[in-house]
Amino acid sequence: MVFILYNLMQLTIQQLLPAYFENKRKETSEVWGKDIVFEKGDLVKIIAPSGSGKTSLISFLYGMRSDYNGNILYNGVNLRRSTPEDISIHRKDHISIVLQDLRLFPDQTVQENLEIKRQLNPYHPPEKIKEMATRLGIGDKLRSKCGMCSYGEQQRTAIIRSLLQPYDILLLDEPFSHLDSSNAEKAMELMLEESRLRNATIIFADLERIDYFPYTKLYHL
Amino acid sequence: MAVSFKPIRPLLQTGVNTASRWFSYIGLGIGVLLLLCSVQMYINIQQMLSEGSVKKEGSDFVAITKIITNETMGKPEMNIFNEQEIDELRKLPFIEALSPLLANDFRVQLSAGEVIPFSTDLFLETLDDGFIDTVPPSFTWQQGQTLVPIIMSSDFFEIYNVFAPGQGLPQLSKQTAGSVAVQITCSGNGQQQVFVGKVVAFSDRVNSVLVPKNFLVWANHTFGTKQTIEAGRVFLKTKDANNPELLRFLDSKNYKINKDRTLLGRNKIIIQGIFSGLGIFGLLVVVLALLLFSFYLQLVIARSKDSLQLLLTLGYSPLWLSKNVSKRFMPVYIVIVISALGLAQLMQWAFHHYAMYDRPELSSFVHWIVVVLSVILIILSVFSNYKLVKKLLYKLF
Repeated sequence: MVFILYNLMQLTIQQLLPAYFENKRKETSEVWGKDIVFEKGDLVKIIAPSGSGKTSLISFLYGMRSDYNGNILYNGVNLRRSTPEDISIHRKDHISIVLQDLRLFPDQTVQENLEIKRQLNPYHPPEKIKEMATRLGIGDKLRSKCGMCSYGEQQRTAIIRSLLQPYDILLLDEPFSHLDSSNAEKAMELMLEESRLRNATIIFADLERIDYFPYTKLYHL
Repeated sequence: MAVSFKPIRPLLQTGVNTASRWFSYIGLGIGVLLLLCSVQMYINIQQMLSEGSVKKEGSDFVAITKIITNETMGKPEMNIFNEQEIDELRKLPFIEALSPLLANDFRVQLSAGEVIPFSTDLFLETLDDGFIDTVPPSFTWQQGQTLVPIIMSSDFFEIYNVFAPGQGLPQLSKQTAGSVAVQITCSGNGQQQVFVGKVVAFSDRVNSVLVPKNFLVWANHTFGTKQTIEAGRVFLKTKDANNPELLRFLDSKNYKINKDRTLLGRNKIIIQGIFSGLGIFGLLVVVLALLLFSFYLQLVIARSKDSLQLLLTLGYSPLWLSKNVSKRFMPVYIVIVISALGLAQLMQWAFHHYAMYDRPELSSFVHWIVVVLSVILIILSVFSNYKLVKKLLYKLF
């Protein structure tokens, strides 16, 4: 099946629950076991304490894992019915992510890490990398190997990487865990700006509420 | 804008296990060389054999006789082909046509008259014209005609020129022999008649003294005593005188091919067997080398697993990655196979030039089949690699 999502607008979850969670989780969660529709442009905040399945949720939505019950529908098409090739198109053109564990190439420089993502489906010209990096305070780190950068610098690299492609949905899994609030605020500002440009949805999962994310929907996981 | 593989390349850890990689490269090279050379030699043998046989209109012509053993000695009826045996031969699928060599059933004496003081008893035989390699228009006879045209074996003529000086006879050129009229005296059945014989052609194929068929049929009837047609030799027309079925049949019947043109054919079976074995061995080496290379490839992918997995997470297509990762090894395969082809070409040239002394039926260049085989090997290697990489990458997804 070809998973064409050129005008991705809507993400729906139906009765979603990790296969390894007990059913009673549905009673306490505002997400697990519920039917939720996320519309384009929504700013969704998901507050998720440790162990509530925050990373699982983001992984399910990104198509990285499928050990769940229920359905995830993009524009009405079930994610389970997508082939690996469909999912890669999905990731390239429609959904971007900042993973909790960052996932960078440690032996590549910051610039190279960013360029590998940018070239896949360039939304911005190469110069934008320098501009964004400078804005987030890692402009001088572009030539440094990622493995040699601090966690904070790596986190900012991962954030910039997620903003170099076109997307309809931006998934954030504790994106500021290694940043001080000043740097986190700057990064949030950049992500909001970029998402507005694309009229994209942000699904932001974190341990606690963050004041500088102007969410339009709030859920407790 | 097309996605570039250049920034991805350093993420693949190809430097691992260099020894295994080089072993597989060398193995592949040797295997391919063995395979190509075997195929080329196989073709060489085919070409030499098809040129070496006496073919007329794409068919082989061979004469068969019965092998005379101690048991059959002195029993002429056992050493000739009777009608039943000729019928059996005629029915064989690999024999297109046959013609018994009819011999004279009366006394024939030849003398060269006063020009050359030479006289001998002789035999005459006849064969259907279609079986004779050189049939001039003058090779005809009509009842009442005293001139009898003769087609003589080139070998017999050579033998004459060998013994002629010792006998005080003149050596003759083929042209002169053709102009000398000889006397042929046929006698038997209480009758005698003298004919004038003239050599009108020489045959490389038929070891005999041939006269027109209607002459010998008439003469046997006139001077001979037997009523049935018997033939000591049978000429066969077949697509391939080296056909193993034919050879097996002849061996089983204790028939022998005169001037054994199948000797090369019998050797061909052995030689081709050897080269087939060598080719299979080469193919085995190719398969082993490809296997070794697949282990190396699996190791590369296992070592680069994290990077490849991250690329897939970032949205790189597994299909695109498979194509590009396997394409990375394509130049190596092309270089190996082309080098092997170059070496095979060099060996073919050396074989043709030094071992075969530039025989015209062979070529100094490798046969086109060998070139096609090389291309197939490249495609096969690249394709098998691609399939493997694709399988491994889809597993990582």
